[in-house]
Amino acid sequence: MKFMIVGSGGREHAIAETATRSGYEVYTASDARNPGLLAMSKELHVVDILDGAAVAKVAHNVQPDVIFIGSEESLFAGVSDTLRKEGFNVIGASQKTAEIEKSKGFMRKLMEKYGMHGRLRFKTFSNINEAIRYIDEYPGSVAIKPTRQAGGKGVKVIADIQAYLKEEKSHAKKRHVSDIVEQKLSKDLEDPILIEERVEGVEYTLQCFTDGTHIVPLKMVQDHPHAFVEDIGPETGGMGSIAGTGNVLPFLTKRDYDTSFDIVKKVVQAIKKETGEPYFGVLSGQFMLTEKWGPTVIEFYSRLGDPETVNVMPQLQNFDEIVNGMMNGNVANIDAKFEEKANVVKVVAPKGYPNERGMGKGHEVAIDFDKVAQSGSHIYFGSMYEENGTYYTGGSRALEVYASADTVEEASQKVEQAISHIKSDWKLFHRKDIGTKALMQKRQDQADLARDIFRYREARGLIGKTIDWIPGIGKIET
Amino acid sequence: MAGICGIYAFDEIWNVSRFVYYQLMAIQSRGQEGVGLSVTDYEKVRTLTASGTVQESLLSEKINELTGPAGVGGVSTRGINGYVTEDVAIYYDGSVELTADAVDALRNDLETMKEEDAVRRFTSKLSGAYSMIILTKDKMIATRDALGIKPFVIGGVGFDLAVVASETSALDVIGAEFSRDIEPGEIVVIDKHYIDEIKSEQRKDPAHCIFEYVYLARIDSKINEIDVHEIRKKIGVLLAKEKPVEADVVIGVPETAIPFAMSYSNKTGIPIDIGFMRTGRHLRTAIRPTQMERMIGVQLKLNPVKTAVRGKRVVLIDDSVVRGTTMRNIVNLLRKRGAKEVHVRIGSPQLVSPCPFGTEVPATDELIAVENTEDEIARIIDADSFGYLHLEDLKKALGGECYCSGCMTGTYPEV
Ligand SMILES: Nc1ncnc2c1ncn2[C@@H]1O[C@H](COP(=O)(O)OP(=O)(O)O)[C@@H](O)[C@H]1O
Ligand SMILES: [Mg+2]
Repeated sequence: MKFMIVGSGGREHAIAETATRSGYEVYTASDARNPGLLAMSKELHVVDILDGAAVAKVAHNVQPDVIFIGSEESLFAGVSDTLRKEGFNVIGASQKTAEIEKSKGFMRKLMEKYGMHGRLRFKTFSNINEAIRYIDEYPGSVAIKPTRQAGGKGVKVIADIQAYLKEEKSHAKKRHVSDIVEQKLSKDLEDPILIEERVEGVEYTLQCFTDGTHIVPLKMVQDHPHAFVEDIGPETGGMGSIAGTGNVLPFLTKRDYDTSFDIVKKVVQAIKKETGEPYFGVLSGQFMLTEKWGPTVIEFYSRLGDPETVNVMPQLQNFDEIVNGMMNGNVANIDAKFEEKANVVKVVAPKGYPNERGMGKGHEVAIDFDKVAQSGSHIYFGSMYEENGTYYTGGSRALEVYASADTVEEASQKVEQAISHIKSDWKLFHRKDIGTKALMQKRQDQADLARDIFRYREARGLIGKTIDWIPGIGKIET
Repeated sequence: MAGICGIYAFDEIWNVSRFVYYQLMAIQSRGQEGVGLSVTDYEKVRTLTASGTVQESLLSEKINELTGPAGVGGVSTRGINGYVTEDVAIYYDGSVELTADAVDALRNDLETMKEEDAVRRFTSKLSGAYSMIILTKDKMIATRDALGIKPFVIGGVGFDLAVVASETSALDVIGAEFSRDIEPGEIVVIDKHYIDEIKSEQRKDPAHCIFEYVYLARIDSKINEIDVHEIRKKIGVLLAKEKPVEADVVIGVPETAIPFAMSYSNKTGIPIDIGFMRTGRHLRTAIRPTQMERMIGVQLKLNPVKTAVRGKRVVLIDDSVVRGTTMRNIVNLLRKRGAKEVHVRIGSPQLVSPCPFGTEVPATDELIAVENTEDEIARIIDADSFGYLHLEDLKKALGGECYCSGCMTGTYPEV
């Protein structure tokens, strides 16, 4: 069977590999000649993957049995709709339903309207001054984001607890709001600025296939958004991921899992009601375990995550069963099956990522594949290209190095070993701390603390509630 | 003695000078004589220095003159604990000497070689203890001596700031999340585009300053992975077990001895009371010979609360004894207020030797414990009884051998 992938990153490389392993013949429509995808694909067509007609042309050429859209921007651009109209069997959300990822404002409004568990207080703005006034008057700490999905950029989470630093923080927040607008991080979105309540806790992702009614969850994964070790440094698209041996992450409980899954289910239903279209494709919830709600929604992806995909796909045993189900429009009674292994993925990025990607572009990278293989790790290509047998960085996250083992720590060590065999004259960096005992313990502590306070609030009927008293206005309960 | 701190923003929307200012306040207990604060705007490193405490010094008025996305600072018991030029600012806690030549060489090396190599070369020529922050025009570098004598921690704020400091109190004060201790011998290079952690290849056994736990560090700090308050409470329990006495009330000398007194009281069941009120601001009575006069003055600002002690047998707990003069004055004050008996207990082992690593423990001939037994000290300070914490007990409380206890033994690790 012919399996066509639309996309160009490490995520697509992992999907391609899984598809090949599951007996499909892989074809790719991509806007870059990703060396990993090239190696996995029978044919790789370079095309503008935001242009539905162009991708459809490739598809007519390839005549695939199924098309899997990996890239969110393709979904936002309506590529899945175009392909479906032309009669192809597509796994990927429609433009309308992918709004759940594209616009965090749409997502927050939907959750609010349907009174869903895990929602947060928020407001969107088109006017900088109004946004700033809202921040000034907001009785607590906020996260400031571009309303549109901006590819792991532009989010600032500013805890504002010390009164004596209020002025400094307020200054920074204002500059950030202006930056979002001036740098057009929300592109064409009407309300480019999103201000939402800040929460605290551990983060995790639950990725699911859905036919719009039934849902097949994959195992839970944790991403690491900070660029540098110790959870310090700027926001990135994700610097690595971990997963435990089971479906539930080591520091989470079955209850956390069930609640998260339930949220995804309700969102699938709500999207259908709201847009009139079934959600058909991949829907991933990015959550934070907080004292307010337990599982709390940070954002949704309308596709698989990156670096989450590389973490789970290599261990997925019945990809073909899921794909078959999706092709028939029904994934009822399908369970994703994984090997009982712990997995670690670490991203290797060139200096310059994430804030000055231009500077990290075009640098030679040498990989000793034999040594990498000896370490038991596997390399997935991200933002990289090949010329005359030499690999070069593309400026964004270059490689994703994956290993699995009986424990997260062991897998992490394997990955470290592999990374020591990746060399460049340009500085490359990755997070040594991902998957270490120390970081795992920190996550456990954070999760325990959140659950403790959550239980106290639960016992008092305070789940999801915020009660403020504002001088001159009085008590506001939300 | 000194405290150091620094902040690095990955994003130019931040002006960190006030953040550093509050950090300095949070480590003020490590030195009140001199304060320095340096900020870079990527073009130039600008510095303010002043004498006195952070809040009362000229710094308060001038802080708005400094703006930029990265800054460092220090408080000290003697002038400025660092060296500043227009393109580099260095602050340290420890016992090293920074000469103009050495700093010039470092500035030069930073231009021509990898930061870690430049810093390694610089510190390899230093002798002594140090936790040190080097701010260049666009980087912040933190490094700690191979024995990890002085405390040093690192943390972060959101997606925005990397933070280093002598104690976690300087992370908490700005809402930073603690990550970990900087390891002995480690160099951490913080740049806009990366953080490099270069661990030392020649690992020695650490020798963390043990005096931090009994006296120097703030109780809300966690250093070398141990909560200071936990240790102070354990010390109170140990004193109660090892040096018990029949009494009616437990009184701690504010502020550092309060935790000892609290847990001494909890353990023995003898009620604790507030025995003193202080007039004027709180000053850490850093033990330094030239400061002795001043220290006595400070301690005398303590006024006993009469009803807490009148007609009672008092256990009086303090954190350390140097010459004994201060303690004698306090005991005397309590007797004048009607205390029937005064039993003095000290939450640290006897100090018998100076500190070569920058803590101002007085010279040997100024230390009462060098020549006198506990009974003799009791007689000198006019107390009914007198007792120290045993060093062995302190080590037990800390659970390890990785400490420098030179001021209590006269034996020092080799740096
Ligand atoms: N409301 C919030 N409270 C606290 N942290 C948040 C909040 N929203 C986002 N974050 C943090 O910012 C990161 C990025 O935000 P997210 O909404 O996922 O944007 P992006 O699309 O850039 O991934 C999250 O992974 C989380 O660490
Ligand atoms: Mg995200």
